[in-house]
Amino acid sequence: MIFWLSLLILPYKGAQDPAPGLLRSKRASRRLECARVSPETGSQSYPGQIEMARPRGDYVERSVMICRERLLRPDLRAPQDEAILSDLDAHAVAMASAAEALRPDLGERTWLVETHYPSAQVSAKVAFATKNALVRQGLKVSDRTPVLAVGDVEVITRMDPESAYPVACRRYAETGALGPDQALLAVVSLDPRETILHAGLCDRGTWSWLH
Amino acid sequence: MHATMSAVWNRVRAVARVATRAVPAVPLALALALAFALAAQPAQAATVEEAQLAELERVRAEIGSQVQLSAYDLVDELVLGWLQDPVFQAPTPVVLAGVSVPVGLGTGMQALLENHIAAVLTQNPTTNVQLVHCPECTAVVVHSGPEGTVVSRGVDNPAVLSRLGQDTGRHALFIDVEAEGAWLVLRARITQLTPELPIVWSHTLATSASTPALLRQPTALKSAAEAREEYLDALHDRGPLTIPVRFVIRTYDRPYTEVGIAPPPFLWLQTGVELGSTDARTWTSSLMMGYSFIPQAYQGVMGQVRVSRLITGKVRSLTRPDLYGFFGGAAISVWGPATASFRDEVLTADELIADLEGDGPRTTFGTFQVGLELRVGNRIGLSGFLETIPDLTYSPNMGEYLFIAGVSFQTIGTEVTFCF
Repeated sequence: MIFWLSLLILPYKGAQDPAPGLLRSKRASRRLECARVSPETGSQSYPGQIEMARPRGDYVERSVMICRERLLRPDLRAPQDEAILSDLDAHAVAMASAAEALRPDLGERTWLVETHYPSAQVSAKVAFATKNALVRQGLKVSDRTPVLAVGDVEVITRMDPESAYPVACRRYAETGALGPDQALLAVVSLDPRETILHAGLCDRGTWSWLH
Repeated sequence: MHATMSAVWNRVRAVARVATRAVPAVPLALALALAFALAAQPAQAATVEEAQLAELERVRAEIGSQVQLSAYDLVDELVLGWLQDPVFQAPTPVVLAGVSVPVGLGTGMQALLENHIAAVLTQNPTTNVQLVHCPECTAVVVHSGPEGTVVSRGVDNPAVLSRLGQDTGRHALFIDVEAEGAWLVLRARITQLTPELPIVWSHTLATSASTPALLRQPTALKSAAEAREEYLDALHDRGPLTIPVRFVIRTYDRPYTEVGIAPPPFLWLQTGVELGSTDARTWTSSLMMGYSFIPQAYQGVMGQVRVSRLITGKVRSLTRPDLYGFFGGAAISVWGPATASFRDEVLTADELIADLEGDGPRTTFGTFQVGLELRVGNRIGLSGFLETIPDLTYSPNMGEYLFIAGVSFQTIGTEVTFCF
């Protein structure tokens, strides 16, 4: 009887290990996002649930593993979309930071953002996040999208990406779609198998890769 | 709205593909994205069973209902920010130009979010954000001029809006909600509908999937910091000390022999103090005093100590019942005609007569108990326990309900507790 009662109670008494094992499947573990923090940080996030170390110490090294369940189940979205969207804020901040850090001389320009990604829905979200990140950097940002003539598009879409972006940038400047007081930050997914985004800058007809 | 936006963009893309042969200007992003990405994309199996689609829809609906409350929270926090620090100094017409929900979730959530945004803004007019209706702003418009023909939404081409009779200089509000790992992130931006489309304000808010929705009222919005204070107050509500009042019934097992006479059930009223080791009330201990009285039958007093341990989780829940396991001991003193059975020997007629003629039987004994208690909101509790009376282990007047590890449990009890 005691043995069976112990089996019933023990799983609740120990710390719930996020690793796969007897009580947690691999699939369930993959749904968790875990981070190890200090007891003080953990107590700030979860007051009442995590005890802080005593002022004079308690003779043990303690840390807190905080695990949060991912909002969406695995396989609900395409793998590339999932990889990009899971770290969307980090991607956007990285690109905005690169733009500001590598080209501080463009601080007074108005920034336009353009995204090249297979999914239009994800593309819109990437552009949204990047614009917000640029505004957070204190830059002037516009919602305007530069356009090209159909002849330019016919030619550019037949070129490989390494050539196409510089040509498009030059044409933006030549046609006036991108003014001298404006800079274009292009966020690009070059290969559907990669889980990173690239950033390119178009400034007065000159194209350069930033990230 | 999300489906509407997707449909709009699909229409834009479809029109753009057609237009590349007939009109002289299209957004390069669309063309390049289609050309490079689709060309490089490997062929994917497009065969999806109907059952899989149904399962996918079921999962989406389930997740959508969970995410919706968190998204509402983020919208509330956004509007609260506008209340505390308005974007506009005077009431300003704003077009709700776009609301998008996490990729993979359905369109129903988008409509719910739109309605919630409108409801909260309507009930908080001091935000100075006045939502206005502008069908031309969200519709796809085609504009041909000397510089070319451009297909776009109205909000993306303010020059066309002015030709359609809309005031220029209005503002457009875009809101995007996305599931990023365990976080739900809301992004918002306000764009002035002038030819240069400057973004005049933007903000990003995030919450965690494991954070319960705050369920705020739309007319009494609270910041995350204030909500945290409320949560802490709820945790600390009455401090670690509570005063329980407990009604207890103890029953004693019938004896195995024909000659023994079992004690009657005892009804107790107890009160005392209960102390939690922390606000989480993972460990609690209690000291209770009790009194029992049935006219012409018995009276009794008792003192009881008990230590309880929370079994379900590490912290008591504010919303769900908590299960505690406990052990403890008691000293009980009873007297009256019905208490003669608390003896370690068979009752004889002589003893019964002597009890009636004298002061009556009086017994004092110690007990130990183990049990489980279900506590709801730290207010009411229901518990059951097993109790052993070591002094009466071999009493012929009592049987045993359970025998574990050499310990006889002669008593079963139930309790109802009210905490103050």
